[in-house]
Amino acid sequence: MDVSAQIYAELTKCGVKVAASLPDDWVAPLIERIAADNRIRHVRVAREAEAVAICSGAFFGGVRAVALMGATGLLTCTGELATLNLRHQIPVFLIVSQRGSIDDHRIYQEVQGRRTIPLLQAYDFPYHVVDRPEDIASIPDAFETCRLQKRPFVLFLTRRLVKGEGAA
Amino acid sequence: MKAREAIDLLARHRGDAVAVCALGMAANEWWAATKSEDAFYMHGAMGFAASFALGLALSLPQVPVWLINADGSLCMNLGCLLTEAAQGARNLKHFVIANGVYQTVGGLAMVNEGRTDYVAIARAAGFSRARTIAALDDLERQLPAIAAEDGPSFTVLQVEPESGFLRTPPMTYEGPEMKYRFGRALERRFGIEVFGPQGY
Repeated sequence: MDVSAQIYAELTKCGVKVAASLPDDWVAPLIERIAADNRIRHVRVAREAEAVAICSGAFFGGVRAVALMGATGLLTCTGELATLNLRHQIPVFLIVSQRGSIDDHRIYQEVQGRRTIPLLQAYDFPYHVVDRPEDIASIPDAFETCRLQKRPFVLFLTRRLVKGEGAA
Repeated sequence: MKAREAIDLLARHRGDAVAVCALGMAANEWWAATKSEDAFYMHGAMGFAASFALGLALSLPQVPVWLINADGSLCMNLGCLLTEAAQGARNLKHFVIANGVYQTVGGLAMVNEGRTDYVAIARAAGFSRARTIAALDDLERQLPAIAAEDGPSFTVLQVEPESGFLRTPPMTYEGPEMKYRFGRALERRFGIEVFGPQGY
């Protein structure tokens, strides 16, 4: 089973029924896996904060949801995460590419690599890094922690995980 | 018509609908008209009541969800119309209180003042049911059909801007209390489980 299929399987174990997404190329295979069948209702959005608010609305419908986006997208919705989710203590589970890592040699991801985690720490948003396929089984614990802590929780996917060891 | 009159009328015709209100004027006026706890009143995330309402509507497909939006909020997130049209939620009705100003901050003019055709934007996004209503008697006449039709629909309520600040007070609770009052209200009404056995 490839990495996307493994993550998808863990999300279904969590009871996730709605996924809202705006892709970057690292999370794109997972998004396409989710879109491949109807077990999880997939919502393509025009801006990442839409995904945050869709998941928040789904929470009140008693439905478990996940937002998927790139690291740059996460930076665009920090205001909404603060004024909707932090303010009301609404959990939202975000799966985000951990761009700007030392093996991500893209100049336009450099600031994301340096400043995203300090930003999450400033907001006191918990996060968890999935770096290897064997880490994927931690997703249900991460999802429960998100609900328990009642705030945004970021599950980062690393380049090594999504592209494989030694990928160019 | 005035915003308060339009919202009073919406409230009287809402039936079993659950409302999601944009922050500011829409939220405050809906609270004044209904005092209902089974409505979510945005306090932040301007523009994203629309997306919140969509997530709620997709999660409770048998429950009518009415979005009480405002033109300032809509302009913050025009892309929501693309997402709503694509999802085709039959239980979602999108109302926009359009006064052309940022009323909550004192009635300052909005971007592109007076030139924006929101219904044309919605139709171009894929809404087949979209209209503007500017007179209170028209709204009263059309609301039963709007309430009964399949969503997604998009209805602009063209209201008069008012001078200065509106003094309608906001709802009397906020933050986590709003989360729990709204979530518990939905649990009671629909027999769903929003919160787990330990309350979170």
